[in-house]
Amino acid sequence: MFSGKQTKPTFKSYLPPLQTDLKKSPQLPIKKLEAKLLPGEIVVNEANFVRKCIGADSGQDDLWGKLVCTNFKVSFISHNSLPQQRFQCTHRLLGEHDIPLACVEQVVTVNDVKGKQKILGSNQKLKFNPTELILYCKDFRIIRFRFDEAGPESAKKVCLAIAHYSHPADPQLLFGFEYVGKRYHGSAGERVNGVDPGGGLQTPLFDCSSDWDREIKRTGASEWRVCTINQGYFISPSLPEFFVVPVSLADQDLKQYACCFYSQRIPLWCWNHPSGSALVRMSNISDPQQQRKVEQRISSAITKSHPLRSDVFKSDLDKNLPNIQDIQAALLKLRQICVIESFEESEEKWLSSLESSRWMEYVRTFLRHAVEVVYMLESRHVSVILLEKEDRDLSCVISSLVQLMCDPHCRSLHGFQALIQKEWVMAGHRFLDRCNHLKKSDKEELWNQYPAAFEFTEVYLTVLGDSMWVPVFSTFLFNCPRQRAEHSRDFASSKSIHLGQDQALRFPPVWDWSQQFSLKDQTLFNNPLYVGKIATCLQNGTVKTFTHRRSKKNYSSTVRGLPSLMRNGSLGPNDTLTRRNSLVLRLRSDLSQVREQPETPSERFVRDFFSRAVDLQGLLLPQLLPSHLSVWKLYFLRWVPEAQIPHGGPVTAFHKLSVLTDEIEMLQNQLRQYKGAAGTANTSHAEHSKMYFKATSTPQQCPAPPEYLSSSFPFSPVGNLCRPGILGTPLSKFLNGAKIWLSTETLANETI
Amino acid sequence: MTFRRGSGFHLRLLRENSRLNAALESCRKVNAVMASAPIAPYNSSPLGNSSSQNASRESLKMEPLADVTLLPGEERVIDKDIIYICPYNAAVKGKVFITNYRLYFKNTDSETPVTLNIPLGVISRVEKMGGASSRGENSYGLEITCKDMRNLRFALKQEGHSRRDIFEIIFKYAFPLSHGMQLFAFLSQEKYEENGWNVYEALEEYRRQGLPNNEWRVTFINKNYELCDTYPTILVVPYKATEDDLRKVATFRSRCRIPVMSWFHKENHAVITRCSQPLVGMSGKRNKDDERYLDLIREANGTTKLTIYDARPNVNAVANKATGGGYEGDDAYQNAELVFLDIHNIHVMRESLKKLKDIVYPNVEESHWLSSLESTHWLEHIKLVLSGAIQVADKVSSGSSVMVHCSDGWDRTAQLTSLSMLMLDSYYRTLRGFQVLMEKEWISFGHKFASRIGHGDKNHADQDRSPIFLQFIDCVWQMTKQFPTAFEFNERLLVVILDHLYSCRFGTFLYNCESVRDSNNVRTKTVSLWSYINSDTSLYINPFYTPESSRVLYPVASMRHLELWVTYYIRWNPRIQHQQQSPVEQRYKELLALRDQYLKKLEELQLSDSAPSSTHLTNSSTPNAATPNQHITHLQTPF
Repeated sequence: MFSGKQTKPTFKSYLPPLQTDLKKSPQLPIKKLEAKLLPGEIVVNEANFVRKCIGADSGQDDLWGKLVCTNFKVSFISHNSLPQQRFQCTHRLLGEHDIPLACVEQVVTVNDVKGKQKILGSNQKLKFNPTELILYCKDFRIIRFRFDEAGPESAKKVCLAIAHYSHPADPQLLFGFEYVGKRYHGSAGERVNGVDPGGGLQTPLFDCSSDWDREIKRTGASEWRVCTINQGYFISPSLPEFFVVPVSLADQDLKQYACCFYSQRIPLWCWNHPSGSALVRMSNISDPQQQRKVEQRISSAITKSHPLRSDVFKSDLDKNLPNIQDIQAALLKLRQICVIESFEESEEKWLSSLESSRWMEYVRTFLRHAVEVVYMLESRHVSVILLEKEDRDLSCVISSLVQLMCDPHCRSLHGFQALIQKEWVMAGHRFLDRCNHLKKSDKEELWNQYPAAFEFTEVYLTVLGDSMWVPVFSTFLFNCPRQRAEHSRDFASSKSIHLGQDQALRFPPVWDWSQQFSLKDQTLFNNPLYVGKIATCLQNGTVKTFTHRRSKKNYSSTVRGLPSLMRNGSLGPNDTLTRRNSLVLRLRSDLSQVREQPETPSERFVRDFFSRAVDLQGLLLPQLLPSHLSVWKLYFLRWVPEAQIPHGGPVTAFHKLSVLTDEIEMLQNQLRQYKGAAGTANTSHAEHSKMYFKATSTPQQCPAPPEYLSSSFPFSPVGNLCRPGILGTPLSKFLNGAKIWLSTETLANETI
Repeated sequence: MTFRRGSGFHLRLLRENSRLNAALESCRKVNAVMASAPIAPYNSSPLGNSSSQNASRESLKMEPLADVTLLPGEERVIDKDIIYICPYNAAVKGKVFITNYRLYFKNTDSETPVTLNIPLGVISRVEKMGGASSRGENSYGLEITCKDMRNLRFALKQEGHSRRDIFEIIFKYAFPLSHGMQLFAFLSQEKYEENGWNVYEALEEYRRQGLPNNEWRVTFINKNYELCDTYPTILVVPYKATEDDLRKVATFRSRCRIPVMSWFHKENHAVITRCSQPLVGMSGKRNKDDERYLDLIREANGTTKLTIYDARPNVNAVANKATGGGYEGDDAYQNAELVFLDIHNIHVMRESLKKLKDIVYPNVEESHWLSSLESTHWLEHIKLVLSGAIQVADKVSSGSSVMVHCSDGWDRTAQLTSLSMLMLDSYYRTLRGFQVLMEKEWISFGHKFASRIGHGDKNHADQDRSPIFLQFIDCVWQMTKQFPTAFEFNERLLVVILDHLYSCRFGTFLYNCESVRDSNNVRTKTVSLWSYINSDTSLYINPFYTPESSRVLYPVASMRHLELWVTYYIRWNPRIQHQQQSPVEQRYKELLALRDQYLKKLEELQLSDSAPSSTHLTNSSTPNAATPNQHITHLQTPF
């Protein structure tokens, strides 16, 4: 139905942050400046007549309003709207000018009359009255407020409050506890609106043994089992309650070995390659006397679980990869050059500054290492152990990269979410302590190179990154599952909330995107190329068609008690394996040739990969040459006004693709109607479309890209990056390199 | 492997020569030099191979030279057993085959095909490597330097001066002008339906812009190249300027390249004019006619101050006074504002590209890639050219007329005017319009292609050579990257243009200016590149193109967004995946086809709507058309 549907995206500059889907009162103009609060959110302090710096130093575009600090966010409420009507993704928890406190990295107060400046920490004193507040955010925004007209005392108080609440001493002070306690455990009536974590979602959380069982079946890892010895976190504080181990290792053995490992982290199974090679992660063995013995036992157990009884390859991540401090330092340097240094001054040395930040180098190192591991799994058919001292940082990166490269399921939206859940959340990455950006950036590279192979988009990754700073979601809030359980129990008892059978506070996982975005905005996560691809095969619009097929095959071969059948299954008719075998043979014959430069087999493997046509549902290796990696512009440069390409950027092509994909879906619907399929789904096309940009009613004519598109879409630099003293006229950026010589006389004098 | 990698060019040639001749396959066995007959007829006796003692057992099984079809007019000159020293693999044994147009190599020693297919025009230098007594394997041979970012090395047997003949032949056919021979473009017999020489007609193009009008007139003063021998015959000048004025102005402008109008803004009537530097000299000469003429340009649309963009760094402009040139001083030109754009000269650009080649060929400099790239300054030069063009475009769209010049007005000036027109005028962003733009701003206004590229000329160290046009195409590519939907053509067109910039197969980029082209009868004796391109435009269409006629494009000329064009500069590296078409483009095309298929289906169904037996229709349709229906049923599975 062409006529009835909404054709253009509506863009509102501001939406009330909470519960937009509930019926709200029709009168829109808000008379009083009031902060919009979430359940459990309280106002700590506020100041009136505050000016938010938007554009040029002149301040003509600046907004006047009220600055509010709550226990969740820094909020700015204003009557005025921004100078230009523009697009923004409306966030359900956060308003346009809101910054979650957890996103604030540094609070700087300035008194420009006295020429004073102070970085405010928690519980500190401020001896001067601030005229200006600058918030440096973890997502690279820099936001400035001026207090020229505000009461000096209230200005000071609000600054202190922001400084205090953005650096909570105890994780339980994070707003998530308050929010979840009120929203989901308050009255029975509200419970109805609340989410059932995991229940309505397709993303497995890997917090029960059935999720692991499914993963074992999906990957055909029949020689592996779910181990329950850590229920109640009795063995290891940082491991999940359920994890997967070789079948040949009995619970008794595992308990015995556990004490040898760092933090009692027994080796964890991550994933099985179709060839039967397993990917395992392991922490260092802390007891040197036991080291050889335990290592041997573990290795032989993994070997036994391999259909070919292949050897185990140990990959020492600490030796081969930069450590987390290096990575954090690189990110800080990157931020320095992206948003803090003057755009023009850093322009000349941009490439070498980028290099000296070492960010790209690290990204490349991670990718390259992951490719090495893929090579071991794919070509050498051996199982790989990722060895890292604590097994909680680098191995998260490598194991998830390997799976992204090898397993097409992980490139679907749900598969990817499951991957993050499995390798990061459950394996105990210390989100609370680290909050580094590492993982996303690496994936972005892979995404860049094979756009059609991923169901999700760049926007999705960006938003996922941002969600780390919204302390409501369980996903990125804790260091490990146990910490989450303990904290929530403590909190619940202190607030006398009855948990019932849940045992823990029900934090909504980040995967419930409706917590943050409307359905329509969520469609920005869908990669039209991906959906479209399936459509060309004239199949259903999700990746499930593929995974179903694959898991079915593995089901049949993994019936317990018939291990021989399984072995036959993966050796004989498995086409992927035979194909790889032939690849190895070819490699060997090529290797016999004389070569000027020695090339390692894995280099050869990479080269060979690039000489073949890419099967997007198969193995994907990233291009590792430095010339082919580029910085993630949407994430790192989205707030930089000078770097914004108005009406341009990749999103303009994305728009075209979305429209076309939407149109195809629409046509499919119509065709389906003709098939006499009871005409059920066709009316609701507009709501159910997976695409953000919709086709128009005259499908043959492609609409012009909307005016608001830019390389920063769906974000906007306006008001989000106020470096002191950078902003001139919009054209100032073009004038670099051009000197206007109005007087040629002075010029002549200078040169003579 | 190198088959796919090393020869994007080769694949293209293969496609265009899809009339693969089965008989040709047999010519692999013929080793005799065949100077006249282009293609050997079927040779019955493979054992009659005269050089069979050279050929290994393996090579007898192979089919060298089987897959290349010669162009009409192309003739074989020599073929020879040779070892190609591939920088990525080991040495590859094979056979090289030279025609008056190309060098073709195919390996004979392994299963994986290795081929090279290089127009001789691409070669800038041929050297002998090693001597008859050189030690070491493969130390005796040839080294060929190409204009398209690669070098080739071949090794031959050391006995019997085996390289002498092949060296001489390559040297002769790669540099025909240095040997009193004709460029291949004059020998080619290719025929195409469309005549690409008709793509650009100056009067038609000016008419499109709304000219002449009562501010600007067309003059034929240069119809015999008497006013300026490097300008086209048709020029547009201020309505009030007389022919006599033009002649007087010509005396004050370097090489008589007077300011002429090149682009007209239909709404605000602002114009882009182009010229060469004024002949001010050390003494600071003035010329009343030139000053008055510039005022006429300014007055045409009531611009208050005519902005003069001098593309050079101001130091260079001053230095040019010593050789009689200079810039418009503000004493003499009180109604003008002079802006230097800091773009460096042809020598700087040549050195910059040389440095770039060093870090990308044969291998990409891995350890300090970004700082190495920075030290080539290539992207910085791109940035300056683009930001200069942005300023020009911005000035013009704000209603002020501008004048652009550098020293002679045929290198940096052409870059700036053509790029700013690309930003201002969406017509030039179409496949046709882009051809017109290049014909107008580059070819007709006398960019010295012959000198800058050195077509058919052996003097590889000529200081006149410089990658100015390549730099322009790179800038266009940067714009297409920033605005993926704004251009009707794709990256492939840009690569093909650059390949044929050197190939000498088409007449389009030959010679320095129109007058020389006329005297060589280029239009009648050679084929235009646009004949070739417009005979199959589908290859060059950007499926994402969305026409937006009034949009002025302002790319962001920042190092944050400028990227090295790896698919051009690093295309010979086998470690890089080469795709004939970007996967996104390809997917989009597939989706378009799918949509059309659905639309057709839907139309069919609507036609037979009233008929109850729609299933009958499905059954009666072709098997191909039936497949969508099968799958449509799957669509009902909820997801």
